[in-house]
Amino acid sequence: MGESTLLNWLLWLPVLGMAAVTLLPKGRDSLVRSVTFGCMVLQFVIGAFLYQRFDGTVAGLQFATDVPWIREWGVGYRIGLDGLNVLLVALTAFLGPLVVAGAWSAVHKDVKLFHVMVLFIQFAMLGTFLAQDLFLFYVFWEAMLIPMFLIIGLWGGERRIYATLKFVLYTAFGSILMLAALIYLVLYTHGSSGYLTFDLRHLSGSQLPLGTQLWLLSAFALSFAIKVPMFPLHTWLPDAHVEAPTTGSVILAGVLLKMGTYGFMKLGFPLFPEAARAMMPVIMTLAVTSIVYGACLALVQTDIKKIIAYSSISHLGYVMLGLASLDLIGIQGAILQMVSHGLVAGGLFLMVGMIYERTHSRAVADYGGLARMLPVFSVFFTILTLASIGLPTTSGFAGEFMALLGAFNAAWPAHLAGNELPLTLAVIAVSGVVLGALYMLWLAQRILFGEARAPHAPLVDLNARETAILVAIVVAIFAIGLFPGEPLGKTELAAREFQQRVAGETIQLGSAR
Amino acid sequence: MNWHEVVKAMLPEHLLLAGMVILLTLEILRGKPRDGFVAAFLALVAAAAAALMLHAEGYAGAPFSGHFSVGPTAALAKFALIALALPVVLISRDDFAETRYYVLLLASLYGACLLVSSDSLPTLFLGLELMSLPVYALVLLAQLRADSAEAALKYLVLGGTATATFLMGVALLYGWSGSMSTAVFAAALGSSDTLPVAGVVLVVASLFLKAAIVPFHGWAPDAYEGASVPVTAFMATIIKAGVLFAALRLFETAPVTRPLVDVLAVLPLVSMIWGNVAAIRQTSFRRMIAYSSIAHAGYLFYALLGAGPGRAQAIIFYVVVYGIMNVLAFTVLPRGTDDERSDRLESLQGLYQRRPFAAIMLGVSMLSLAGLPPLPGFVAKFLVFRNVLAAGYTGYAVLGLVASYLGIYFYLRVIQYMFMNPATADQPAGHPRRLALAASLLCLVPAIALAFFPGWLLDRF
Repeated sequence: MGESTLLNWLLWLPVLGMAAVTLLPKGRDSLVRSVTFGCMVLQFVIGAFLYQRFDGTVAGLQFATDVPWIREWGVGYRIGLDGLNVLLVALTAFLGPLVVAGAWSAVHKDVKLFHVMVLFIQFAMLGTFLAQDLFLFYVFWEAMLIPMFLIIGLWGGERRIYATLKFVLYTAFGSILMLAALIYLVLYTHGSSGYLTFDLRHLSGSQLPLGTQLWLLSAFALSFAIKVPMFPLHTWLPDAHVEAPTTGSVILAGVLLKMGTYGFMKLGFPLFPEAARAMMPVIMTLAVTSIVYGACLALVQTDIKKIIAYSSISHLGYVMLGLASLDLIGIQGAILQMVSHGLVAGGLFLMVGMIYERTHSRAVADYGGLARMLPVFSVFFTILTLASIGLPTTSGFAGEFMALLGAFNAAWPAHLAGNELPLTLAVIAVSGVVLGALYMLWLAQRILFGEARAPHAPLVDLNARETAILVAIVVAIFAIGLFPGEPLGKTELAAREFQQRVAGETIQLGSAR
Repeated sequence: MNWHEVVKAMLPEHLLLAGMVILLTLEILRGKPRDGFVAAFLALVAAAAAALMLHAEGYAGAPFSGHFSVGPTAALAKFALIALALPVVLISRDDFAETRYYVLLLASLYGACLLVSSDSLPTLFLGLELMSLPVYALVLLAQLRADSAEAALKYLVLGGTATATFLMGVALLYGWSGSMSTAVFAAALGSSDTLPVAGVVLVVASLFLKAAIVPFHGWAPDAYEGASVPVTAFMATIIKAGVLFAALRLFETAPVTRPLVDVLAVLPLVSMIWGNVAAIRQTSFRRMIAYSSIAHAGYLFYALLGAGPGRAQAIIFYVVVYGIMNVLAFTVLPRGTDDERSDRLESLQGLYQRRPFAAIMLGVSMLSLAGLPPLPGFVAKFLVFRNVLAAGYTGYAVLGLVASYLGIYFYLRVIQYMFMNPATADQPAGHPRRLALAASLLCLVPAIALAFFPGWLLDRF
């Protein structure tokens, strides 16, 4: 069996799982969980194998499939791995089984529908990353809304309906303008090249006037910035995170938020490079605002989930900063930071879910001295906290450091040329690191140390299932933190292409490594 | 006139007519109530098969030259109309035992098929009226409600106005050109004289009235709410499709020029906005669907902005998908003894717990009507707006898309009621209609096929 067949299996396995789960008899909840878990594990195995086989020294798509879908409009079923999506696909496949395992004892209502929706969103997320066709990308991008709408709305907290409607209406608004822009782009390319296609490789070669580019990029950027989310379009995120069930939060923080940054990286910037360069100061400013603003808000929250939610806004700000630096190190750092944030924030949300299952409280004030009551829990929480801060040897360090380095690399020539804005922004961004340490350590201090107290004490420490989930995440965090060269080797060529495409020939900053 | 051609070209119509004759004979001879359903269903299956055969064969013929002609696209449109009526008839079995219901339904379909094939304005008028007239009576047939008489009367009066307007427009066009051919309309589109433009505007206004475009939409919410569920399904799908096919027949592939573009764009745009906004406030399911259909009529007329073959493609695809999804929603609605209460949106609360299949079907239908991928409603919406953009009306396309965004909320709210809200205590004990499962599968299977392989239908143009 060829690798491209395997990649198709990776993508369509959740759909098979959905069919299998739907056909299972009613009331067999543990069977539903096992089938879903089995499907996710199989998917992870395929994903890991493909990740291993992916060759970072070869440019372009690997394991690609390209068959016509709607022939008349040039829409094709085009999927494949490249340096930009390979890590994110691996991350999605990795988190899949952990998400299902994490929800094992948390979901008791409509278990079948829940697992069908988890498989559905897994399918849509993998599809969005793998799609190499604009139409296909949009279909998967929008398809993510439906399962997420149900996951938050059905299994969420008190204000779940408000939160889920806010989430869907926010994101759908961005996408509707993106739809207009993408049709316009395809028609324009058709007019200028006489070739009607939604193939991304073809579209990224089209030469549009700057004014058109600016409009189209704005439409795409709105959609992506809502998903990231970037300040000031972030207000749906805290509500969605707080009201979502653990599974929803993990999927949201682990993978879904990366859709926005991936969209910028895959579509927004490369399709409209001149406009991207023109808008870079704005994007950088918003990214740095997100870093600082998210961190400041995280500082004052009293709900553990909200703290992690706001920290996500801050951490994804680094990703945007790294991308916008258009410096090779910065771009590589951004990609690494996406994966790292997926692991760290995903892990933290899982841990909040674990403690919530025991106490039904997420208020910081309710807890204290957990280190003595729940030693295993506390060890893992400490590790994840340190990874979130970006302590060296964890994945958080590699990503954040490289993104910041990239920002400085890019700012220096501008500074010499008399433009102080990039440097100022880079310096402000560094302060986010300090703030990040502040809110995360403070959180750990408040709940792990001090006088021992918790609702519903005495508490049972983590069981084998929960420990296994966290071990997997922590191993991945250290693997990336200690050997960042391995994943970076797979992405370097693609990052370089991205940089050359967007930065053009005019600025070649710090491309020597 | 070649008799062989007359038989073959009009085979779907003949079979519908045969169905009506058999129904009337049956009523005289036997008077058994259940026969009507079976006879009507068989007639529809035969007519749909005939239309599909004509399409597959690529048959083209004009038995009444200058008045009636049929080609592969027309045969496909007829097949779509007749096939959409199949699930409607299946769910009618519990509500209507009378033979006259089925006679009226078949007559209306006959009119719809006739207008698809019309080559002259009188034939088109005949088809349009034959399609509409039985529906006034159908609305009245819902005995479950007290206010259906009022709804039917409102519909009748406004429908009569539409008829008069249409005839006035046709008279002006005839006065300008001296011809009764439908091609006159397309020619008038390119003219800048007062007479033809006035004729076009009057004809378009009557179509707007029949398709419930703002500000001619007042009858729709009352009629949809006052009629019984199968009749509402029929109005929302087949009548709307028929009107749009009439518009397609008139506009052909001719481009629309400047002063008319704005009429053709602004009113449908207002319909989209108003339909989607007003739907939010509704508490009755059928009223909500009425406003939704007002918005969808807006999208459909938007497709006329783009010229060329993309127009027919967009309209037929949209009509098929929209029709399937609407009928799907109506097939799974519970049939309560108290129609007014079971029509309330709150009665859907907790539907997923009580009848998961119905809730999922209704959910699929709502998401598709909202135009969210991967459901086929998205492809339909995409086609319409691609057409508008391809014609160069970027501003109108963006406004239309934003208007379509406004609609997402109320569709999601239905899903919220069914899946997320618990059932209330005084829930009316609604039972599904007996053949509802067959009817929903009849809708679901083509819907899935179209979602995954839209090319199957699109390649047929």
